[in-house]
Amino acid sequence: MTEIFNAQGILKTFPGVKALEDVSVSLTRGSIHALLGENGAGKSTLIKVMTGVYRPDGGAMMLDGAEYEPQNTHDAIVKGIGVVHQERNLIPRFSIAENIFLEHLADQPLRRIDYPKLFQDAQRWLDLLEIDADPATPVDRLSVAKMQLVEIAKALSLNSKILMLDEPTASLTPHETDTLFGILRRLRDDGASLVFVSHKLEEVQEICDSVTVLRDGQNACESRRLDELGRQDIVRLMIGRSEMIPDWVARDRAEGQPVLELSNVSTKLGHKAVDLKVHKGEIVGLYGLVGAGRSELAKAVLGKFEITDGEVLVNGISAKINSVADAVGRYRIGYVSEDRKSEGLVLIHSVLENVGIPIWRRLSQFGGFLTNGTVRKHTVPFIQKLEVRTPSLEQQVGNLSGGNQQKISVAKWLAAEAQVLIIDEPSVGIDIKTKAYLHELIRELSDTGTAILLITSDMPEMIALADRIVVMNEYAVMGGFNNTRDYTEMSEGIMGLIQGDETAAA
Amino acid sequence: MNQKFWQSEWFGPLLITVTAIVIVSSLNPSFLSPFNIQILLLAISVNAMIAFSQMIIIAIGQMNLSVGAIGGMAAISFGGMMEVWGIPWPIAAVLSLSIGLLAGIANGALCAYTGISAFVITLASLSIFKGINLGITEAQPFYDIPDTVKSLGNDTFLHPLPWLVLPAVAAAVLLWYLLFRLPLGRAILAVGGNEHAAALSGISVPRIVIVAHAISGLLAALAGIMLVGRLQIGQPTIGDDWLILSFAAPVIGGAILTGGHVSVAGTFLGVAIVAIITQVLVLFSIDPFLVQVVLGGLILWAVGINRYREVRAHRKIAAGAI
Repeated sequence: MTEIFNAQGILKTFPGVKALEDVSVSLTRGSIHALLGENGAGKSTLIKVMTGVYRPDGGAMMLDGAEYEPQNTHDAIVKGIGVVHQERNLIPRFSIAENIFLEHLADQPLRRIDYPKLFQDAQRWLDLLEIDADPATPVDRLSVAKMQLVEIAKALSLNSKILMLDEPTASLTPHETDTLFGILRRLRDDGASLVFVSHKLEEVQEICDSVTVLRDGQNACESRRLDELGRQDIVRLMIGRSEMIPDWVARDRAEGQPVLELSNVSTKLGHKAVDLKVHKGEIVGLYGLVGAGRSELAKAVLGKFEITDGEVLVNGISAKINSVADAVGRYRIGYVSEDRKSEGLVLIHSVLENVGIPIWRRLSQFGGFLTNGTVRKHTVPFIQKLEVRTPSLEQQVGNLSGGNQQKISVAKWLAAEAQVLIIDEPSVGIDIKTKAYLHELIRELSDTGTAILLITSDMPEMIALADRIVVMNEYAVMGGFNNTRDYTEMSEGIMGLIQGDETAAA
Repeated sequence: MNQKFWQSEWFGPLLITVTAIVIVSSLNPSFLSPFNIQILLLAISVNAMIAFSQMIIIAIGQMNLSVGAIGGMAAISFGGMMEVWGIPWPIAAVLSLSIGLLAGIANGALCAYTGISAFVITLASLSIFKGINLGITEAQPFYDIPDTVKSLGNDTFLHPLPWLVLPAVAAAVLLWYLLFRLPLGRAILAVGGNEHAAALSGISVPRIVIVAHAISGLLAALAGIMLVGRLQIGQPTIGDDWLILSFAAPVIGGAILTGGHVSVAGTFLGVAIVAIITQVLVLFSIDPFLVQVVLGGLILWAVGINRYREVRAHRKIAAGAI
């Protein structure tokens, strides 16, 4: 095992903060290395230092035996460190081939692009990564998983010595993740060095060979082999204590009048005869792969998409929901979006304003207009209850951490006194501490009587929280069962229901 | 807001306004003569209305290229109704305002329900409204404006405060009240800040877009009518030169062009700065073309400040300082 990259004593300070202090990393050739740490631990800063976005204030890096001091991102790529960001960075209407070779479409800016050759070259990468697509296809026609592979092809085509993957599985289905892992393993076996950044410890343990853990901008451990560490060891390194796995019991609350009931609901988007009940105080987990139509179903209930057949009942009475305003105002159904930045929050507005949005109209009825005082009175208790860490209530939420943003997305529906809360992928991009806190909160909320529909692709989360699990696949409900909290039994049951459909369809 | 006042977006414009007044009046004491103040306030009053009509659209993250065309159409309708049909001025004013309102609603409904960008919709409606204007007037002004209107458009009710200050101040106060105290106004800013989040929080986005455009049309029409009084003539060219000012003042006042953040006080000060600069160039007999150059420079400066704040905030986030 030879070392390909080494960083020693990396220091990076920002005004008032030491983002990285004496951080060291060592990568070996032909391995997949996990970079772990909670949000704010310094992972992103380290990635930015390695990829030339930031210049370190101290320390030294060696790449392939030579001193490595990237002047900018382009320089880092040229020297051999490629990165696939969490967000997609492809030009939508350009072809796969053009995207892969974007930086060098032709030798000179004014030379005609030789498309046949470009497509031919691209095909080699597509074959290597087993991407089943024509290189001339515009990338916006591809699935998210294939787009990701195109980005990997792009990074590899630049002769990367090290390829960094930031949360590569965040938007992939389990099946797509498996395919990706197969490809990553093959690349490793061919001698590539990969850095894998993820919040999902199961995945890290599955695919990575070695690990560096950061905590509070410092090494929680030096780079070391992963197989020496158990899950609890990793968690302890990440958060400085062991993971608390709540020993909650699943409750049977599926009795009486459902607060939210979908009866034979079909939608314009293709949902077929969906039946679903959520009772008072119950957490119903809606499991399904990405693309199973869960978020879309939630949005149909909210009145965003048209329901073509069947009906939605709230407290047993047929509900006429024509718009989200109806859902929120008349039926008090709240929705915590999986994409809090683009759908959940107004990032440039303050904490106070974001929490207040759903209740402005209601509050204004008291005195004809809104005063800061009234809004505060009805929002601040919830902001405090959720322990949102913010310098002030006037702080723009865009400046807060992911975990705090998520708390605000939830706080706004507490303030709105939602009787039904649909929570979509609550722990995407959130650190372990906040995630545990959110889980407690969701549980507590259900105990106060809120009916909760929890949409998640995180199996442990589903099994920890749900009282009842309902499985969806291809826009239909495949079935459901009570949660026994037996991980193996439940995950097999869920996969069985999903695959039951696949075999039936085949 | 508990923000320190020197950090607020109107502090910069206020500082410039005060500094400009101090410097100019020390160089040329006639700048602060009652007559000059009256002239200044007349310009500020009309221009504030123009700026507000754009500001409310900036608040929802769109732009309205047709403010001038709506203002012009309302202005000639006002003049025409009085001259041709002999309609008493208050009724003519109300009818002209309704025309502005309807034009705004049409803009808003098209933006809300077609999904076409406001830029394109208002570019088209600019052409339509201006065409209607020229069709009616045949490019000839209406001269027969009642003396009351002329007086209201120029005279003072309390020396040196002109009557026209009243609607401008009223509009400013009402807009502030709307945007920062009424749910409707908060919803306007929320839609501008993040349309999707606003929609999923139960705000009816199409309704908000229509309301914002309706207010914009109304204010533009009001500006047109005020200008008829001030110019004492129903000019078909009214509104032709509003566009740059309408964006400049809100932006100088700290508005974010992508929406979600505007300042009424800042916009007012933006208008004041532009008026003072224009005046200064006249007082010192400098070529008026420089106004355009200075105005362009001011826009760049204001946008630059906003951008700088943004970048600084991002750096802070990246550093995990918050």
